[in-house]
Amino acid sequence: MKNDVFTFLVGGKAGEGVKKAGSVVAHIFSRMGRYVFQMDDYMSLIRGGHNFSVVSTSTRWISSQYMNANLIVNFDKRSSQVHNNDIAENGIVVFNSDEQEDVEGIGIPLSSEADKYTMKKLMYGVGAVAILASTIGFKKSEMNDIIKNEYPSGIEDNIKFADTIYDLVKNECENKFPLEKGDKERVIITGNESISLGAVAGGLNAYYGYPMTPASTILHFLARHAKEFGLAVVHAENELAVINMAIGSAFSGAKSMVGTSGGGFALMTEGFSLAGMTEAPVLVVLSQRPGPATGVPTYTEQADLSFALTAGHGDFLRIVASPGTIEDAYYLASEMLELVWKFQTPGILLTEKHLSESSMTVEINVEDAKWAEPKLHQGGEYKRYLNTEDGVSPLLFPPSKEIIKWDSYEHNEHGITTEDAQTIQFMHNKRGKKINALIDYLKNKTTVNITQGEHPLNIFSYGSTYMSVLEALKYGKINPTVIQPIYLNPLPIWELEKFKDQKNIVVEQSFTGQFSNLLKEKAGIPIKAIIKKYDGRPFDPIELYTRIKEVAE
Amino acid sequence: MTDQSLKTDAEITWCKGCGNFGIFTAIRNAISKLEEKGIKPENLVMTAGIGCHAKIHDYLNISGLYSLHGRDAATAQGMKIANPELKIIDFSGDGNGLGEGLAHTMFAAKRNQDFTMILHNNSVYALTTGQFSPLTEKGWDGPSTPKGSFEPPFNAMSLLIEAGATFVARCFAGKVDHLTETIIKAIEHEGFSFIEVLQPAVPYHAWSEYNKNIEFLESEPKSKEEALSVARNAHRFTLGVFYQINREVYHKELYGDHNPVLNKLSRDKRLNIIRKILEP
Repeated sequence: MKNDVFTFLVGGKAGEGVKKAGSVVAHIFSRMGRYVFQMDDYMSLIRGGHNFSVVSTSTRWISSQYMNANLIVNFDKRSSQVHNNDIAENGIVVFNSDEQEDVEGIGIPLSSEADKYTMKKLMYGVGAVAILASTIGFKKSEMNDIIKNEYPSGIEDNIKFADTIYDLVKNECENKFPLEKGDKERVIITGNESISLGAVAGGLNAYYGYPMTPASTILHFLARHAKEFGLAVVHAENELAVINMAIGSAFSGAKSMVGTSGGGFALMTEGFSLAGMTEAPVLVVLSQRPGPATGVPTYTEQADLSFALTAGHGDFLRIVASPGTIEDAYYLASEMLELVWKFQTPGILLTEKHLSESSMTVEINVEDAKWAEPKLHQGGEYKRYLNTEDGVSPLLFPPSKEIIKWDSYEHNEHGITTEDAQTIQFMHNKRGKKINALIDYLKNKTTVNITQGEHPLNIFSYGSTYMSVLEALKYGKINPTVIQPIYLNPLPIWELEKFKDQKNIVVEQSFTGQFSNLLKEKAGIPIKAIIKKYDGRPFDPIELYTRIKEVAE
Repeated sequence: MTDQSLKTDAEITWCKGCGNFGIFTAIRNAISKLEEKGIKPENLVMTAGIGCHAKIHDYLNISGLYSLHGRDAATAQGMKIANPELKIIDFSGDGNGLGEGLAHTMFAAKRNQDFTMILHNNSVYALTTGQFSPLTEKGWDGPSTPKGSFEPPFNAMSLLIEAGATFVARCFAGKVDHLTETIIKAIEHEGFSFIEVLQPAVPYHAWSEYNKNIEFLESEPKSKEEALSVARNAHRFTLGVFYQINREVYHKELYGDHNPVLNKLSRDKRLNIIRKILEP
């Protein structure tokens, strides 16, 4: 099957600039007006091992990397071995002839050339960019402009090295894959950047985090931009501190967010429950990686869904939603911040490493972000937990002459601890009203993305797997109906009911099929087949298309 | 609720004769005196952990967040970071602040977070029926230590000085005036102030045990080294300010004179910056 996608793959050891080379190449494509999707695969180590970056590009919207690459640059022998089967028909493999001989492809003495420079192995990435530049028909001058911008330290050496590599591969690579220009240049961002910006657009004032892959880059990005956005960004001692600081900040009136992965969120569940009881608006970004326990830190999975839906002890409203694309992550982060403040309850923006850390060309309508605006006390005697029609009590922040008491014990409307039977029941009912209020509110919103197809088949997915599904269908040129619930709690059964009597399949990245179970149990959706993947890697569109075709027949 | 007395109308459930009453009196006295000094009660915000100490959250009529067991120091920091104009009082306990919440207490000190922790030390897990606490002397006959507790206690004074607290004092619930004055000093202190308050839990400890042993520091140590030495060698019933120093507070290191809640960036300004970041 002919593919309208060009894919570049570069692999080597950590510390050799693999990811940077991928990013530079992605920018070359985006500057050509093309769409880009970049996925970085890296191990949990600082130096050595095997890392690779895959950049797929097309003149149409593209939402996944393809492992089937047209150009592969291997910095070392291990990379050659790992990516031995990843080469597309008529593709080019460039390998490091200082490390191996007798392999198919174009051998260049990458190590001995790089050793001539003080930066040594740090030059490899520059070499990879030079190879790509030659392959897509860039002139040296065009390439050197890019090298200057993207590798600003030691420019002269970098250009000299790039020129050398360019000349070495020229005969076999030059203009082998001329790429069509696209319509316009677009910005490339990661999912975590999109989430961060969406939260800021929604009114974020404080972010708390403890480093944990794949959520750490939210902490880094917001720390870097804290001053310009007027944020407090804090790296605390552990996740227990993180969630409790966020709740304390919410009490003072700050729109607060925290970010972590499964293990960190496990520690946060105590505070998550406190947010349920105190009715503290707090947004948690839970970026999944393979579990249980430490699992596989730098890879992807969707096995924390059940955990997220029931996290924290006790009965309380947890809003859980998951963005399907890197663009949607921006809007959803702002909307989730809006909702946790509107309904004064904790929420989880559930995502995965694959969305958090992959990057793609996006077009974001910045002003479409929601803005968190709580219901505020309008004067008179203040009761923190005033019983209202929708269960949402007006907020008031210190300093105030009125007394504002938030309480982790069951409490009366004033926020004073109680053990009285009637009051306990009364307050459960009061908080419980927020569930229906939220459902009523969401009924007028987009809670499920449904793309009506012609093929008599419905494909359900959520989170980043939605991007994989869309790309697989584009690759295979088939169009079943695609359904992506954005909200997972409350699950929008009012939108899903119509699929009850149809042929449904689910694509998800969990061993037990947690998403399928949710659809079955909560929405009564019969599921004909589940396409699962639980090896830590995101779906490849070709592989996924093949599996969809199998179950569709 | 009656503001004047700083008491809510909640039923007080501390045991008759509990040391917590002394702390309750002292904090109300301190708040009144601070008001005379220009610190308004509405600018004071409290938090508390869980335990007998924490019941004060229901009784004291100022705003606050009744936190989880051990998490109050984190809550306090979040309150302060969001709005540094608030003065935060964190009521903690020996099990709460040096057991379950030890990490938060240590890091609050390390960071010199600007709030006051009043640690009610009754040397026992009173509310959960009398188990030994991180400050209980060896040999405690509690339900979890039938052959007597064998872990040595922490020395809260030297521990906090070492961790980086910039105001460290010990008081006694039976010396209400001294406690009141120390609380005022601690709240006025810019930085992390820590007061350990010896507080008899009457089912477990007699007042006489305390009264006969209480003594005051002769003078306030001048340096950290001296303070540590005094704290290590002093009797555990020794009262006074062990250490006080000025050091830049966390929120100022973090964002200078900014106030995340009072100086919020408008939506338009945010969107303009985001537009710039998202330019290709």
